[in-house]
Order: sequence, then C-alpha cells, then structure tokens
Amino acid sequence: MQDVFIGFTSVTWQNLVMYLVGFALIWLAIKKEYEPMLLLPIGFGAILVNLPLSIAGIPAAGASVTEPGFLSVLFEMGIRTELFPLLIFVAVGAMIDFGPLFKNPFMIFFGAAAQFGIFATMIAATLLGFDLKAAASIGIIGAADGPTSIFVSSIFAPQLLGPISVAAYSYMSLVPLIQPPVIKLLTTKHERRIHMVYHESSCPKWLKVMFPIAVTMISGFVAPISVPLIGSLMFGNLIRESGVLERLSKAAQNELANIVTLLLGITIGSSMTAAAFLTLDTLMIMGLGLVAFIFDTAGGVLFAKLVNLFLPKARKINPMIGACGISAFPMSGRIVQKMANDEEKGNIILMHAIGSNVSGQLGSVIAGGMVLALVPLLVG
Amino acid sequence: MEQVIEYFKQSSTTVQALGVTAGGLIGVFATLGVFFLVIWVSDKVGRKGAE
Repeated sequence: MQDVFIGFTSVTWQNLVMYLVGFALIWLAIKKEYEPMLLLPIGFGAILVNLPLSIAGIPAAGASVTEPGFLSVLFEMGIRTELFPLLIFVAVGAMIDFGPLFKNPFMIFFGAAAQFGIFATMIAATLLGFDLKAAASIGIIGAADGPTSIFVSSIFAPQLLGPISVAAYSYMSLVPLIQPPVIKLLTTKHERRIHMVYHESSCPKWLKVMFPIAVTMISGFVAPISVPLIGSLMFGNLIRESGVLERLSKAAQNELANIVTLLLGITIGSSMTAAAFLTLDTLMIMGLGLVAFIFDTAGGVLFAKLVNLFLPKARKINPMIGACGISAFPMSGRIVQKMANDEEKGNIILMHAIGSNVSGQLGSVIAGGMVLALVPLLVG
Repeated sequence: MEQVIEYFKQSSTTVQALGVTAGGLIGVFATLGVFFLVIWVSDKVGRKGAE
C-alpha cells in the first residue's frame, strides 16, 4: 500500500520550495510579462524536475526507471554540447540590423564600455569565495545576453547554470527598473538634456554583407574560442543581409528561434534540482547579477562622460547613450529615449541609442569570447 | 607574455580576476576598435565610390 503513496511520502521540504520557485517564475512570466518565453518554461521545468522520484530528469535513487528522462537527454544534447545557445545566436543574428551602428560607428565603443559589469562582478564573485571559472560564469550575467551566459557557464560552471540563467533573464526583464536610477545618479539634468544631431545616410549593401564575414574572421584571429559564439551570430546576420535567403532568414527569426527557445527554457529548468538550486551560492548569484547590471550601466555612462571631456561643446554626447551599450535590445535604447524625452520634450536620441544598443550585442559576445579565452590561460 | 601569465597563475583568485578584467577590457575595446575601423574605412571608400 505504501508504494501507492510513494509520490507523496517522498516529497521533501526542498521540493516544496522549488515548486514555489517554479510558480514564482511562471507568475512573473504571465502576470508581469518578464521574459515570458524563457521564464515560463524554466519555471515549469523546475517543477517537473523536482517531482518526487521524477523520471523526467536524471532518475532519482529508488525510481523504478533507470534510463535518463527526456529532460536529461535534452540537457546532454542541447546544453552540454552548447548547441541550444548557438542555435539561438543564429536566430538572434538574423534579427539584428546593424544599420544604426553603420550610420554612427563611434557608438560601437559604448558596446565595449558597458561590458564593465561583467568584469567588476567577476572580481566581486572571487571576493565572495567563488573560484575563477565560477566567478567568470557569474560575471557573464552582465553580458545581459542569455545565450552568452548559458554558453559560458555550460563550459565553466555547469553546476551553476540554473541560477545564472534565471538571474540573467530576470534582470534583463528588469532593465527598465534597474537602469534609470543608476543613470540619474551618475548624470546631471543638464547632461541628460544634451541633444545629439543625427545625419541620415544610406548604408551600402556590400558593407552589410561584408560586415558579418569580417567580424567573424577578426574575432577568430583575436580569440579563436569565441568563433562558435560570434560565428553563429554572424551567420544568422549574413543570411539576413544577403538578400537572397529571405525564407531562411525568416525561418531563423521565427521557427528556429521559437523551437530552440522552447526547448532551452525547459531544459534549463531541468537543471534546477533542489540540491543544486537551494544553496547560498544561488542567493549570492542573484545578488551579483544585480551588481553586474548596475556596473554595466555605470561603465557605459561614465565612459560617455569621459569621452565628452575631449569633445567640443557642439558635439557632446548625451551620456545616457552609454547605458545602452548593454545587450538588452531594444529595451535599453527605448528606456534612454524615454528618459531623454521626459527630461526635455522633443529630444530625440533614439537612433544613437539603438546604435549603442546594437553595439552591446556585439560587445557582449566579444566579452564572452575574451573570458573564454583568458580564464583557461590562468587556471587551465 | 609568458612571464605575465605565470605571475597570474601564482596569484590569488581575485588577482587572477583582475588580470582577466584588464585583458578582457583591452581585448573587447581593441576588437570593437577594429570593427570601428572596418566600418569607418568602408564608409569612406563607399562615399568616394559614390562620388
């Protein structure tokens, strides 16, 4: 008779907490619409994998089935091999229009400055006792780029994949709440009112086609380990810009993105077993994730202020543009435009902000590649 | 370069993180700087061609 109720009698308090975590993620996805495409599948995966004697993930001791469950198979196939984040990158590449960046190429440097949060957080994580690979994986939350976070942590710290992914996607959805106070803290009203002139110019097609190829080759020479990341992103972009593969471009932007996102979310959720998730590390990762986003924003804004020291009055940059150097596209650009308009009606800096925001997508991937290249040099 | 890497290998984790920070930021700025040059030169060449 006891066997009939084995599901009920095997539930632990840790399982119950994980159900609450799962429900909280699903609630955030549905009620608050915070990254619903990821948080909902992650939340459901977290519930699924914590059901007693669950055979969806790795079979628990005492389970009647010993074969790995479907979530384990997906994890081994899609995360352990890094396939899912790379396929997402193909899709993201097909969605990116580098046009605003080509029209204002200097914005590319904000995509570098706003990666500061990655490195500041990595240092903070080592001070909290994480080893360098784990610290680097946590720091990458500051890339504000889910696939990069998943890619790096699946290589350096697969045991932290669950909390890192949850932190990355949660804070990405909270960018509208995180960035404005940091920007306001670091800028004056006068600075936020700076107008920026925008010159409309056409961008030759050959540049749009050559750019993804050149970026892939240059990245490959600088940091060969970043080739899977940048290569996937740029392959997607090349399909888009070639102009002759519209069907494939649309498939990458829609079908591929949707299918992989669906599988990615629930697979990440499957890594959130109570034993792996309910730890002090998870709490610290959630805190450090916030630090990463704050320092990203600060890095971008302060870099813009630094550049302004060398620019003539007529060509000053609105330092809020620097905050858009994170990869959260197009959310960050829109927030900054809204802030500029709130400060002074009719102040349009959207195209500069979007240029900076697109640069952030490049910068985050390059930063991920740098971390992947440098950390093994020091710790093997 | 070998000596620098060896120094960091012998250092504490936080110093290693500082090393990765320095190398990483330089690397990101340099790589994006090259991309900037690619776009800038392409733009100049494109404009000249149009003229």
